[in-house]
Amino acid sequence: MIVNLDVQDARPIYLQIIDEVRRALVVGSLRPEDPLPSVRELASELRVNPRTVSQAYQELERAGVVYVRRGEGTFVSADALPGPAERRALADRFAKKILIEARRSGIGLEELSAALRRVAGEETAAEGGAGQPEDAVAAVPTGSDEGGEG
Amino acid sequence: MRRSPDGAAVETSGLSKRYGRTVALEDVALQVPEGSFYVLVGENGAGKSSLLEILMNLERAQSGTATILGLDSVEQGARARAQVGYIPEHHRQLPRWMKCGDLLRHVARYHPAWDEAYADQLVDRFGLKLDRRAGSQSKGEARRLQFALALAHRPPLLLLDEPTDGLDPLIRSRTMSLLVEHLADSPTTVLVSTHRVQELDSLADHIGVLQEGRLVAQMSRDDLLRTVRRYRLEVPEGWQPPPDLRAAEQWRASTGRAMQATLIGEEEVVVARVTASDATVVDTTTLSLEEAAVALLAEAAR
Amino acid sequence: MSGFRHNSAPATRAVLREQIRAVRVENVRIALVVAGLLLFFIGLVVDEVILEGGDFPFHPEHWVLPAMAGLLLPFALWRGEERRGAGFFWSLPVDRRQHALLRVAAGWVWLMVVVAVFVLALLALTLVSGGQILGERTLRLLTLPLETPGGPLPPGGVREVPWTMTPLLWLAPFTGATGAYLVVSTLALGLKRPLRWLAGTFVLMLLIAVTGDFANSRRVAQVPARLLDAVMNGRWGWDALITARTESLKTEGLLPTGESVVVWRALPDLGDWAIATALWIGLGLVAVWLAASRHRENRGA
Repeated sequence: MIVNLDVQDARPIYLQIIDEVRRALVVGSLRPEDPLPSVRELASELRVNPRTVSQAYQELERAGVVYVRRGEGTFVSADALPGPAERRALADRFAKKILIEARRSGIGLEELSAALRRVAGEETAAEGGAGQPEDAVAAVPTGSDEGGEG
Repeated sequence: MRRSPDGAAVETSGLSKRYGRTVALEDVALQVPEGSFYVLVGENGAGKSSLLEILMNLERAQSGTATILGLDSVEQGARARAQVGYIPEHHRQLPRWMKCGDLLRHVARYHPAWDEAYADQLVDRFGLKLDRRAGSQSKGEARRLQFALALAHRPPLLLLDEPTDGLDPLIRSRTMSLLVEHLADSPTTVLVSTHRVQELDSLADHIGVLQEGRLVAQMSRDDLLRTVRRYRLEVPEGWQPPPDLRAAEQWRASTGRAMQATLIGEEEVVVARVTASDATVVDTTTLSLEEAAVALLAEAAR
Repeated sequence: MSGFRHNSAPATRAVLREQIRAVRVENVRIALVVAGLLLFFIGLVVDEVILEGGDFPFHPEHWVLPAMAGLLLPFALWRGEERRGAGFFWSLPVDRRQHALLRVAAGWVWLMVVVAVFVLALLALTLVSGGQILGERTLRLLTLPLETPGGPLPPGGVREVPWTMTPLLWLAPFTGATGAYLVVSTLALGLKRPLRWLAGTFVLMLLIAVTGDFANSRRVAQVPARLLDAVMNGRWGWDALITARTESLKTEGLLPTGESVVVWRALPDLGDWAIATALWIGLGLVAVWLAASRHRENRGA
C-alpha cells in the first residue's frame, strides 16, 4: 500500500492517512486480511510522528475497518469491503475539494456540474475512438489514478 | 520530586535570564507534555538556546525553576541530565582530541541505560567514521555524531537545539527517518528549538512561540489548527476592523470588497466578531506550522 | 515519587575509572612527547656521565622535572574548557563539582605514574653506572657566610659533616609534583582565563618594581623580588616542597687549591620538608575544592 501525503493539504495528517487507507480499499489495492505497514514503517516512510500514525490506525480500528492481531500487527478487517457508504464518502471528499477550488474562481455548482459532464463526455468519446490512455480524472475513481497501484 | 499535576515532562515556572542588559528569557512558563513533540520557535537570539541550556543546568537562570520529568534541573542536576539526550546548537561542543569510537565508549559509560547494539546500528546508519578525531570532523559529521550520542541511551527526553543545522538535505531526510523510528521504538518526549519550522511540520504536535524572551503562545497542534486560521472576508466599503479582532498583520487598506487575513482566536468567536462588524466570512483554511508560527510571532510583535 | 520512568545516573567509581581512561586517551600525543623527552634525558646522562666512566648517584630529590610535570598537566587537562564554556564535560550526568574533582583526581593518578617512571629511570641509570643509592656522604657546611657564590671560601669557615640521606626523601618528587599539580589545578579550574591572570600578576609585579625604582624607594622596588624569594626559597616554600631545600641551600665556593666545590649553607631538614609538604598539599586540596565549587550546581546566580 502506498500512501501519499499531500503537502498542500491542510487537514490533520491522521485524517489524510485514514482517507488513504479507505481509498486503497475502494480501489482494491488493499484487500481484507491484508497487513497494514507497521506504525514504525509508515511513520518512517512518511517522516511523520508515529503517534499520528497510531492515531489513524486507532480510528480505523474503532470504525471497524482494521483490527490488531497481537504480536503481529494491524490487518484489514474481513468485512472491511468498501460498501456504498465508503464510496460515497470518497466521492464526497473529492467533490468537496473541487467545489472549494471552483468557488474560489467564482465557478458555482451548476457551471461545475456542466463542465464535469462535458469533460467526461469528451473523454469517453476519445476512448471510444483511438484507445488513448485514460487520464486521471478527479471525481470518479476508475482504477489507475494517482499512484494507487496494489 | 513532586508529581506535576498534568504530568509535564518539562516544566518551567517564572524562568528569567538576562545577559547583561539583554533579556533572553522573561517569566517563561514552559509546559511540555510527556510523549509530545514540542517545537519551540522564535527568531534567532530569542532565548531558545538559553532555555535549553538552563534545562541542562549549563546556564543559571536569574529566577524561576525548571524540572525535567519531575527532577529539579539544578538541585537534582545530575539525575535530570541522565534523562536527557542533548544536542547543543554548536556542533563543536565535543572533546576534540578523542576519536569518535573512543568518544562513544566514553559517553556509554556515563549512561547505564546505553544500548550497545543500538549504538552500533546508529553508527552504521549515520555513517560515522570511528577513527576520525571528534574535533577534526566536518559540521555535518559532528552533528551526526551528536545525534548518535543522544539517541543511543534511549533517554526519556530529547533536547534538540537546531538539530538539522549543518546537515545537507539528503542526510537531513535520513536523520529525520531515524528520529521517527527512534520515537516509534522508545517512548520519548522531544523538545526541539528551531527557526526552521517547515521540516518539523509533520512531526510537531505542540508548539511554543518565544518573542523577545516571552512565551507568547503555547498550545497543542489541534488547538493551533482551530485558533490560527486564514480567513477570506467580504467587507463593505470603508470597513474598519473591529478592535477585538486579533490579526497577525497590519490591516491593509482594502482596494476592493474581498480581503484575506490571518486571524487568531476560536473560529466561532472570530466569525462572530467579523459578522458583528458587518462583514462576512467567505471561507477559512488552516495554515502550515510555519505560517501559523509566523502569524503568532507577527501578532506578538505588534 | 514523580511517576516518571527514570534512567539512572552513573556511579561515582565508574566515573572516576572513565576519567582515568579519558585522560589517557585524550593525551596520547602529549605522552609521546614526554616519553621522547625522557629518552633524550636518559641519552644525555648516558652520554655525559656514564660513558665518561662516571657514576650517576641516585638523588630523585634533586630533580625539578616531576614538579614541572605537575605544573603543566592541568593545562593539558583543562585546555579548551574556557572555549567550550557550557561544554560537553559539564553536560554529562554527574554533579559538576564532583565531576571536576574526579577529573583532577584522574589527572593526578597519571601524574604519579609518570613520576614513577621517571624515578625508575633514574634508578636504572644509577644501577647501570654503579652509583650510590644510599649511604653516608660527607658534606661541606659553611660556618661563616660566603660573600660571593662561586668565590673563595672563608678560611676556617667550612666544616666537613657526615650526612645520611634518608629514603623518605625519595617521596619528594611525588609529593612535590602533587603540590605543584594542586596549585595549578586550582588556577585552571577556578579562573576562567588562568593564563591571563598569570600574565597579569607578572605585569603587576613588574610595575611595582619599576615604580619603586622611579620613586627611589628600595623597599617598594624590592617587594616583588622578596615575595618571590619567600615563596621559592622560604623555609616552607617551593624549594622546600620539591627538594627539601637541597637546591637553595647549596652553593659553590673555591677552595684555597682553586678547586670549585659544593658547599652548604645549612643542612637539609627533613622536618621542614615534611611541614612544607603538608602545607602545600593541604592548602592545595582546600584550594582545589574551592575552585571546583565554582562549578557547583545550586541556586543563585
